[in-house]
Amino acid sequence: MFEKLKFFLNVTGNNLWQFRTRNIFSVTIICLSFLTVGIFVSLANNLRATARELSSNMTIAFYLDKGLTPTAVDAVRREIGQPAFIESVRTVTPDEARERFRASFPELADIVAGLEANPFPPSIEMRVNAKAWAARDIAAFVAAAKTRPGVTDVQFNQDWVEKMQGFSRLAGAIGAFLGGILILTSFFIISNVVKLNVFARKNEIEILRFVGGTNLFIRIPFWLEGITLGLLGSLLSLGLLFIVINLFPVYLGSSLGALQQILRFRYPDLNQAIALLGGGAATGFIGSATSVSKFLKV
Amino acid sequence: MIELHHIWKQYQKPYWALSDVTLQIGDGDFYFITGPSGSGKTTLLKTIFREIVPSEGQILINGVNILKIRDSRIYTLRRTMGIVFQDFRLMFHKTVFDNVAVPLQVIGVGRKEIRRRVFNTLQKVNLHQKIWEMPGRLSYGEQQRVAIARAVVNNPEFILADEPTGNLDPELAFEIITLFKEINKQGATVIIGSHDRELIRHFGDNILFLQKGKIVGKEAH
Repeated sequence: MFEKLKFFLNVTGNNLWQFRTRNIFSVTIICLSFLTVGIFVSLANNLRATARELSSNMTIAFYLDKGLTPTAVDAVRREIGQPAFIESVRTVTPDEARERFRASFPELADIVAGLEANPFPPSIEMRVNAKAWAARDIAAFVAAAKTRPGVTDVQFNQDWVEKMQGFSRLAGAIGAFLGGILILTSFFIISNVVKLNVFARKNEIEILRFVGGTNLFIRIPFWLEGITLGLLGSLLSLGLLFIVINLFPVYLGSSLGALQQILRFRYPDLNQAIALLGGGAATGFIGSATSVSKFLKV
Repeated sequence: MIELHHIWKQYQKPYWALSDVTLQIGDGDFYFITGPSGSGKTTLLKTIFREIVPSEGQILINGVNILKIRDSRIYTLRRTMGIVFQDFRLMFHKTVFDNVAVPLQVIGVGRKEIRRRVFNTLQKVNLHQKIWEMPGRLSYGEQQRVAIARAVVNNPEFILADEPTGNLDPELAFEIITLFKEINKQGATVIIGSHDRELIRHFGDNILFLQKGKIVGKEAH
C-alpha cells in the first residue's frame, strides 16, 4: 500500500515536472481565481467586523409617558423584557435626563433651569450585545416595544449598522459571483490541461494497459495531478492574499480618510482558509476526473 | 493453453480480417504466425490479448472464455501475458529500469524486489549495464531488448510479439528471436507474428500461414 502510494506520488511528481510550463499556467489561473475569492472574503470579513463594532456601541432608548411613576416605569421595563441580544438595561429618570442634557449642552442649561416643570420623560436604555446582534430580531423587538402602553417613542439608529451589513453581504455576493466564474474557468483549465497530459501520455497509458494496469492504477496519477494543481494554486492565492492584506494599507496611505476603515482587509479565519484550500483541491480533482473519464478510455 | 474457435472479425464490409480461424496453441509452444501484409497476423494477436473483440467465435485461455471477461477485469488476462510490438512502445522519458519495472509496479511488487527482478531480467537480455540509460540513447536492437525484458519481467505464461524484428537488420533479428527461444525454453508459450521467411525457416517449430484472414496452412516440426 505504502509502496503504491509512493509510486503514485513519484509518477505524479514526474508528470507535473515533465509538463511544467502548462502546469505553471494552470496553477497561475487557479491562484488568481482563488485570490479574487479571497480578496472579497477578506473585504466582507472587514465589513462584517466593522458592523459588529458599530453595533457594540448601539443603544436602544425607549421614551415613556411623562406621568409614569417609578413603579410604572419598572413595570414597563419588565414588560419589554431583555432578549439575548440586549447586554444591559438601565432606567433613566427625568432628573437624570435633565442632568445629562445640562452636561451635554452647557450653553442651553439656563433655558432648562428656567422651566417650571422637568420636560424630560423617563426612559429605558438598552445596550445591544455586539456578538448576538441581529438586525431582524432588533427590528421586531423595537416594533413590538413601540406598541406597549406607556412607551411614547423608541430611538434606535440602526441605519449605519444595516448599511454595513448590506455592504458585507454585497461584498460576499460579488466575491461568490466573480469567484464562481473564475473557479469555473479554473475547472475548465485544469480539465483541459489534464486532457493535454492524457494525450501526451497516450503511449504510456497504452503500455500500462498492456502490462495489466487497472483503470484505477492508470487514473490515480491524473487525479493526484489535478488535486496538486488545485492545492498549489489555492495555497499560492492564500500567500498572495496575506501579501495584499499587508501591502494594501501601505499603498493607500491616509488618502482615503474614513473610507479606509471600510476598505481595510482582514485575514481570512482558519475555516475560510481551509475552505479555500479544499475548494482548490476539489476544483482540481473534479477537473481532472471529468477529463480522465471523458478522454481516457480504459 | 490458447484455443480459438471459429473466430471471425470484420472491420468493414465486405472484407473479413479473420475468417473462421480455429487454432490450438499448447502450453510451452513456440509459434510463428506468418503471412503477407494485411493477412490478419496483427488482428489475430490482438484478439488473443483482447485488444480487439472478434465479431464471432470463442477464445479460451486456460479454459476461460476471455470474451466474457468484463472490460474492467481485462487486466487479469493481461497480467498473464507479455506483449512485444514492432515499434517497441517504450517510455522515452523514463530510464531502461523504469520501463522494465512497469509490469511489477502495476501488481504492487516492493521496491527491493523490483530492483532485483529488473536487474536479473536485464542481465538475461544483456542490457544490465545500460539500466540507467534513457531508451532514446540505445540502438534499435537494444530498445527491442528492453521491450522484451519488460514483457518477461513478471514471468508471464504467454509472450505475444507482433513483428518484433520488423525494424531490425537480419543479424539483430536473429539475436532477438534467439532470445525469445530462450524464454520459451524456460516454459513460456511464445507466439510471434512475422513475415520474415528466413527467420521462420530457421526457428519455426510451429508455423501458421494466414492469407486474407484465413488459415491456409500449418506446419509443425
